[in-house]
Parts: sequence; structure tokens; C-alpha cells
Amino acid sequence: MQGFLILLTAALLPMQIVLAADAATNDCLTCHSKNTIMNKGVHLYIDPLKYGLTTHSRIGCVSCHDNVTKRHPKDKVRPSRAKCQDCHAAVFTEYDQSKHGKYADCTDCHKPHAVKPLLAVSGRDINIQCAKCHEYTKMVKSHSKWLPQATLHIDALPCITCHTGSKNYVISMYMVKNVSGSSLGGVALASFEDLLPFLSEGEKVGTLIDIDGDGAISLSELKKFNKSRKYRSISLLGTMMPEVVTHNYDILDNRRDCTFCHASGPNAQQASDLAFPEKDGTYSRIPVEKGAILDILYGTPDFYMTGFTRSNTLSIIGALIAAGGLMVPILHGTLRFFTRNRRKEQ
Amino acid sequence: MIMSEGKTTEQIYITPTPVRIWHWLNALGIVTLCITGIQIRFPEYANIFGTYKAAIKLHDVAGVTVSISFFLWFFYYLFVARSLMKLYIPNLEDIKRGLFTQAFFYFFYYFLGKKNPHTATPDNKFNAIQKMSYLLIMFVFLPLVIVSGLLLMNIAPLRGWIIMIGGIKFLVDAHYLLACSFFAFLCVHVYMATLGHTPFSHLRQMWTGWEEMETRPH
Repeated sequence: MQGFLILLTAALLPMQIVLAADAATNDCLTCHSKNTIMNKGVHLYIDPLKYGLTTHSRIGCVSCHDNVTKRHPKDKVRPSRAKCQDCHAAVFTEYDQSKHGKYADCTDCHKPHAVKPLLAVSGRDINIQCAKCHEYTKMVKSHSKWLPQATLHIDALPCITCHTGSKNYVISMYMVKNVSGSSLGGVALASFEDLLPFLSEGEKVGTLIDIDGDGAISLSELKKFNKSRKYRSISLLGTMMPEVVTHNYDILDNRRDCTFCHASGPNAQQASDLAFPEKDGTYSRIPVEKGAILDILYGTPDFYMTGFTRSNTLSIIGALIAAGGLMVPILHGTLRFFTRNRRKEQ
Repeated sequence: MIMSEGKTTEQIYITPTPVRIWHWLNALGIVTLCITGIQIRFPEYANIFGTYKAAIKLHDVAGVTVSISFFLWFFYYLFVARSLMKLYIPNLEDIKRGLFTQAFFYFFYYFLGKKNPHTATPDNKFNAIQKMSYLLIMFVFLPLVIVSGLLLMNIAPLRGWIIMIGGIKFLVDAHYLLACSFFAFLCVHVYMATLGHTPFSHLRQMWTGWEEMETRPH
């Protein structure tokens, strides 16, 4: 019985901490989520929606600002700030030793009160952080020196796909909308609001494609979506997301070899998911049936990585056409050889 | 005119210089496109040009060369030689009888040693089957493979158009199947080129412009 009580206490402890943190956080947000607090300093305002989505919100304000007392702010004590390395020591050490460590702090990319988990952001959200220092046009220009179709690669991939050490990748597909009246390549990431007209009252955004709502997207569901005239203004573009993110952000020479991504063959890296924009600005992901990205036409009509997501069926059809052409000289030539004397006689 | 063993041959100037230059440039371009294309689609099986990037660059250069050469050929025949329609568009007679007669010759009479029913002249270079084949290749397949290739070379700036025509997979699939058809055509074309008066007479004609033709004594 005693053992059971210890186990129960141990099991409930994290929940108690979270509940306690929640209570304290609510106290803090009573003032810090009001716009009027910005009169004392813009940095004092905390967007409750954004903060609520962070992992940090689970441990609560006082975990990082631990000298805050019940008398705050009347006690005039300036709240302390925890250092990122207090919790993220390994990541900090890796980042600090990288070339980036000298030029940007953790908070330049990850706002502690708004930071989202990797899987809740789009590749473009990630690149916005990079573009604060690495101007887009300069990046296209520098990559164009060695990378074919540099604009395509930079637009389609998060920078960290090449500039972190992850060995494996997941293909993530995002919804884009056609932007009429813009340039020829007129597509932009579709937001939750863009998808609202396609949703019935209370319907989840994922059900646009995951029709049966089983939390997985089959190839037939994907085909139905792509063939539907109803969704003509929405397309699915794919990108490669690293499975593991490291913080060294090196220039890795093996990424300059195109075959690192383009020669994996149709049997590798078939895992993919579909990212749906949610009302709160995050993305939720639903896994897609293995091999769907290799479908000949309607699986992912707007996602193709040359040398990688080719369809085996199409390769065979093409080979048969080529073989048909080869058969003409072989068959005609054979008959020609055996009838050569007839032509000499004539 | 040359006479030997009762057979007479004569030299006829069939193919003008600009067309011959175009032909060999095109031939080099299409062979390069086929080989680099194999490496681009099947990189884990074929590494012919060292790196994948080298294969892509060469494919792009060859593709642009073939595209420019196609437009030069088109404008030369349409506006300079003014024989595009006459040479390449089959007439009613070609469709009603020419196709059948020529096919019957290739697949039957040729093996019996009969004479080719069509005699090439500068104004009537191609037989009915050749006209139909070149019409399909030059006016349908080549423009389609050029347009799909140019779109694939510029995906980012032309993404809107690519989505409008059915997506990048449709484009890649079409480009690949058209390329396979070109390879098949190339096999047949090279073989048919050996069916002249001598196995090399058509080849020599495409190099020098002059075709040696057999004329039987009356």
C-alpha cells in the first residue's frame, strides 16, 4: 500500500508542478497580457495565445523568473532571468562553439515567450529567422554560384535542411494558395483563414484531406483531394524537414553533392506528412501513407524531386517505349540479313 | 552519271547546308539529352558525367541548343526555303495510298528485293511515312519536349503556370515519356538511314548534301 502511494505521488508530481505553474502563470498574465503594460515597456507584454503554445508555458513564469515574489511589482525588485543554458546546456554548448555563436544569441531566433516546437512551424517560418541576418537576395546569389535552380531550393527548403547534421529527413507537405495577379510563380502558404471557406461549422482543417478522420492520410484520400475541382485554388507543395535539428549550422560539403538528396532512390525516405495551418498560427501534422509521394500523378501532383520521387510504373512505361524503338532495327535487321541475297539478285 | 554492271547512278543535291548543320547539331544535342537524362532520372544506377550537377548542366545546355536549333530550322524552312508545308505536310494522296504503299514496301517488298516506291527529290524528299513521322516529331513531340523542358528549368519563376497545366509531376511524366519516344524514334531513324541505295548513302547525303541514286536503264 505504501509503495502504491509512493508510485501514485511520483506519477502525479509532474501534473502538480504543471498545475502550480499554471496558477502562478495566470497570476502573472493578469497584468502582463494587458496592452496597458506596454506603457511601462513593450517587452513586458506577453501575448497569452503565443505564450500558451510554447513548451515554456508548461513550466510557468517563475521557473525562469525565480526571484519574483507575491509582492511584485510593489517590492521594486527587478525579476531575474534564467539563462537558456540552465536548461538547454548541450544545445547551448554546441551553438556557442559554432560560427553563429559570435553573432546571434538564442533569443534572436527563439523568443522565449513565443517559441514554437519544430513540428508546429512551417519551413518558411524557420527561414524567416535566418533571413533576419541572411538577406534573401544575397542568399540566392551566393547559392546560385554552385546550386542549380537556387531560387527553387531556397524557396522550397528550410535552411536547416542542409545546414544541420541530420542524416534523415521527412517530406512535409504544405498547402499553398494561388495568388492571382502576382508574378508567374504566384503561390503563397495558405493560412487557416484561407481554408475556412472550405470547412463546415466545427470541422477540423485536417478533414479537408483526412476524410475519414482516422489521423492518417491514405493515397486514395490524397488523390481525391488533388482531383477535386472544389480545391482547385489550393495545391500541396512538399519540402524536406530534418528529422533531428542540430545547432552547429555548418556548411556541410556533402550537401553540395546533389546526390545527397536526389539519388536516394524510390525505396528510401518515403515517410511524409501533411502540415495543416491551425487557427492559432501553428501547424498540426498528419502522417501520409508510405510511398504516396511516388505515385505516378495524383498522389502529389505538385511535389517532385528529380531522381528521388520518380514513379517506378512510369519508368517501366518509358522503358517499354524505348524498347519498342529498339525492336524495329533488331527485327527488321534480322529479316534483312536473311533476305540479303534476294536484293543482290534484283 | 556513273554506269556500272547495267545499273546507272546519279548524284542529286538533296539537303542544303543550313539543314545539314541543323541536323548534326540536333543529333548531338538529342544524344546528349538522352544520356544525361538517364543519369538525371536514375542517378543511383548511372553516373556517366561524374557528378549529378554536371549531368544537369549539360542537359540544360543541350536542351537550350536543341531549342534554338529547332527555331532556326523552323524559320529557315518557313521563310527562307519556303518549303516547310510542301516537304512535311502529307497530301491527300500520301494519306490515301502513300502510307499503305510505303509500309508494305518496308515490311514486305523490301525483303523481296523490290525497288522503293518513293524517289527522293529536293522538292519531295520524304515518303508518306517519313512525312507523317516527321510531322509528329517536329511539330508535336519536339515543341512539347522543349516547352516542358524550359518549364522544368525554371520551376520557381513559372510555378503558377506549372500548377495551371496540371502540376510538376504531370510535366515531368510528360517530359520523360516524350524523351523515351525520342529515343525510340532515334533507333528507328538511324536504322532507316541504312536502307538507302547503299547502307551509307543516306548518311553520306546528310553529311555532303549529295545523294547517290540508282537509276535503271530504260
